[in-house]
Amino acid sequence: MWQNFFKTSVRSLFKRKLYTFINIGGLAIGIACFILLFLFLQNEWTYDRFHTNGKQLFRISSAYGEIDQPLTHTALTPSALAPALKTVPEVQTITRIYPKASLVANGEKAINESRFIYAEVPFFTMFSFPLLEGDPATALSGPNMVVLSASMAEKYFGKSSPTGKMLKIDGKDFMVTGVAKNPPSNTHLKFDFVGSYSSMNITDRWGSANYYTYIQLADKATSNALHDRLTSMIKGMMGSNTKYRFDLIPEPIADIHLYSQSENSTERGGNLQYDYMLAIIAVLLLAVACINFMNLATARSADRAREIGVRKVMGAVKRELFTQFITESAIITFLALVIGTVLSLVLLPWFNNLTQSTIRMHLEWPLIVALIAVFVVTTFLAGAYPAFFLANFKPVQVLKGKTPVGKGAALRKTLVVFQFAAAVFFIICTLVVGQQLYYIQHKKLGQDRSQVVVLNGSRFDNNSLAAFKARLLQQSEISQVSASYDSPVNIGGGYGIGQIQGKPADYSMDVTAIPVEKDYLQTMGIDILAGGKLTDADIQDVTREKQEDRRYHFYLNETAVKQLGWTPTEAVGRTMTMNGRIGSVKGVMKDFHFASMKQKIQPLIVFPEYEWFGEILVKVNGRDPQRALARIEDAWKSYQPGRPFDAHFLDDDFNAMYESEFRAGRLLKVFSGLVILVSCLGLVGLAAFTAEQRTRELGIRKVLGASSSNLVALLSKDYIKLVTISLIVAAPLGAYVMIKWLSGFAYHINLGAGVFVVAGLLAMAIALLTVSLQSVKAALMNPVKSLKSE
Amino acid sequence: MIQLQNITKYYPVGLGRNFILKDIDLTINEGEFVSIMGPSGSGKSTLLHIMGLLEEPSEGQYLFEGERVDKMNEKKRTQLHRGSIGFVFQAYHLIDELTVYENIETPLLYKNVSASERKSRVADVLDRFNIVAKKDLFPNQLSGGQQQLVGIARAIVAEPRVILADEPTGNLHSDQAKSIMELFKELNEKDKITIVQVTHSDVNATYGNRIIQLRDGHIRS
Repeated sequence: MWQNFFKTSVRSLFKRKLYTFINIGGLAIGIACFILLFLFLQNEWTYDRFHTNGKQLFRISSAYGEIDQPLTHTALTPSALAPALKTVPEVQTITRIYPKASLVANGEKAINESRFIYAEVPFFTMFSFPLLEGDPATALSGPNMVVLSASMAEKYFGKSSPTGKMLKIDGKDFMVTGVAKNPPSNTHLKFDFVGSYSSMNITDRWGSANYYTYIQLADKATSNALHDRLTSMIKGMMGSNTKYRFDLIPEPIADIHLYSQSENSTERGGNLQYDYMLAIIAVLLLAVACINFMNLATARSADRAREIGVRKVMGAVKRELFTQFITESAIITFLALVIGTVLSLVLLPWFNNLTQSTIRMHLEWPLIVALIAVFVVTTFLAGAYPAFFLANFKPVQVLKGKTPVGKGAALRKTLVVFQFAAAVFFIICTLVVGQQLYYIQHKKLGQDRSQVVVLNGSRFDNNSLAAFKARLLQQSEISQVSASYDSPVNIGGGYGIGQIQGKPADYSMDVTAIPVEKDYLQTMGIDILAGGKLTDADIQDVTREKQEDRRYHFYLNETAVKQLGWTPTEAVGRTMTMNGRIGSVKGVMKDFHFASMKQKIQPLIVFPEYEWFGEILVKVNGRDPQRALARIEDAWKSYQPGRPFDAHFLDDDFNAMYESEFRAGRLLKVFSGLVILVSCLGLVGLAAFTAEQRTRELGIRKVLGASSSNLVALLSKDYIKLVTISLIVAAPLGAYVMIKWLSGFAYHINLGAGVFVVAGLLAMAIALLTVSLQSVKAALMNPVKSLKSE
Repeated sequence: MIQLQNITKYYPVGLGRNFILKDIDLTINEGEFVSIMGPSGSGKSTLLHIMGLLEEPSEGQYLFEGERVDKMNEKKRTQLHRGSIGFVFQAYHLIDELTVYENIETPLLYKNVSASERKSRVADVLDRFNIVAKKDLFPNQLSGGQQQLVGIARAIVAEPRVILADEPTGNLHSDQAKSIMELFKELNEKDKITIVQVTHSDVNATYGNRIIQLRDGHIRS
């Protein structure tokens, strides 16, 4: 019996090639995408769940701010926190982690390794990063010890075992004490090197927060109890302070990737909103492919009607026929599953590139279960209705030659509307997201980030920086050189105005601020509304030997001045202090975006301070950036010999801020394209069927004088109606979702009717084009031929 | 074997009824070869479909082997289709996707006949109808006459008590028709299968041993 079903199915699939191609192709695309998105989401949603002690592992993050202001959350903590925690009974083990890109050399050539962290001894016993060589308990137990990941071991030592060998790290000799398995893609602590924390000579201070503190809870302790303990500890330290709040919050390690609000994490966190969007896409795409199957199977039921009638007359019961058609559906789904799996394997590198991830496909239980579920659900979802529909044919009608054509047309139309609504919805989302991203990239920010090359300034002192700058400015390709503490497009420093002339003594105001080099404002093209440029005398004021002799010069932005309640000119010249820095307002800057457009522009202060510059900013002339880069590299080599030249454009920093948005934009483009493609595949099938079914009618109309274009119009009319309905369904939904998404940006485009018109026209055009392929063929047919078929 | 009592079949048309069959009383005994004749629209096919349990009469009683059909449940009817009644159609109605061999085998599958027995029974029938050489061909590779031969082979492989044939030679030319009719006659005489055929052709009708003339839903003679 099964053999008989199987043979009939396979042969009928071969016979109806277009139909088979559409079904299997559509489903395979759906399944391939499902697998890729499943792997992606599985990776996202299993972040740091593999640690054996996972439930007891927490990262302590800090939150601070003024009492009535929203708190700033950061994953960084002061180095003195860990020693203070030693006396807390809820804490069993502590490890501090300090990520620091370091120069690694085995022999002459030094390579800048960015996935380099320094960690305390318990690192390998707390976290489940198994060591292939070395002892987890002692691998980091002394200064100048380093553990390599397996891939780094191979990179630096080839096939031979590196344990006990030496590496030069930032000029110091380190002994390799172990090799760790490469950390998986689903951890926020990805490392290539783990150096021992004691190599760093870090003094324990409360003053600055630059370290990550991870703890393992004691056996019976709860995180709430720990949090209470930390709160009372802070209270003890801060005394009767009523202005500021400081909080230490234990974050469960498994929640860090998806739920942590802390900035400065070791890795950019996930975005649940986008994750859900991807899950919906995965399911929708599969649904659209299933709909193709259902529609084509019921539409083409006439083909199978006779077989069903004959089988019934021979004594087949409904159940057997149902089984037969479900078998057929299972065969198609299975083929699609195989092709889809292969497709997903082939597409995985491309998908990793698209999502900036490093997922690998392992045939593990979750995936296998998911694939089985997809197989069963698709088989029944796609197959049950057609099977039921076909099994219910009355044999006598069929055998009398009446085929129940056109039955189920209403359902088919509904399903086509659903497909196209999904397509229109995704087109709308793609267009809006694309527009917003374009807006972000092209909005006048108030500062000019184009053609700015960013170099690592951390190893320059003031003298070498001045010399380097002078050397660069001799080049005709280079117009400006300056430096700053952090990236001009994402300024993060939290400061506070302590006192300012004209405000009461206890006045204070939180500001973001950035220490810069003298030519910063010119290099970044920031407009000054009031006040003057920095002079050499100003710079001398801030570079005096003793801190108490220094006098600072502050540039406030419009927002800050507004918040103080003054006009720009009123503000200039007032004396003020900021975090112990005494000085005066040198000028007022026109507002510019210095952080993500998700946030409103905040009060900002730019001030020269020559303590430490993270970034050197080189403005090059637009004509030949490659040549300019070569010049910069030449200069770099003479001032930073032995250090790798690592330059990037400021645009890259800017784009990195919107990484998840760009990723969503790219994914949307691809997947809405696929939804459209799969929907169109189905439409091709349906249109072919309709044209075939109406051959006789078209023949008669032609004989009666209808032109080919009349006929194409006639055949296309129905589809225009369907697409219009789907537009009506999808537009409000798309508008709702997109308004919600846009509201996440403080600065965003306004949703206009244009998007919906374009989406509608696009969907219409695609549908008509698809349909017309078939209808033109039918319309051009010689009527004699089509009438003969009766 | 087949007893029809006051069989009436009608379809509602507007407010009235359109009668296809009216008060048909007919008994067909085991071993008979009956030809039903009559002009188009006289209800021949409907009568045959009622006999084959494909349609239900609007009124009247139908006893198959003494048992009231209207009292039978779905299962029993399926049993009759599987074992007692064989159909032969004007348009052959072979399954295009199956070979000659597989087409003939299909009824046995539904009857849950074991694989080895299926094999021998299909082989017997192929042999008997001289179509062994054609067993791996698909229906569209056969002539009309050959297709109908397969149709009949398929109808008898399950060893039915009665074959209902709806214009079995309607699509065939006269030579082919003749051999098909002779085959029916042989099945009737040698295998003692009851045969009821609907036909337009006087010649074909003479192969049977009784002719029933239908006109406007009534039996004429």
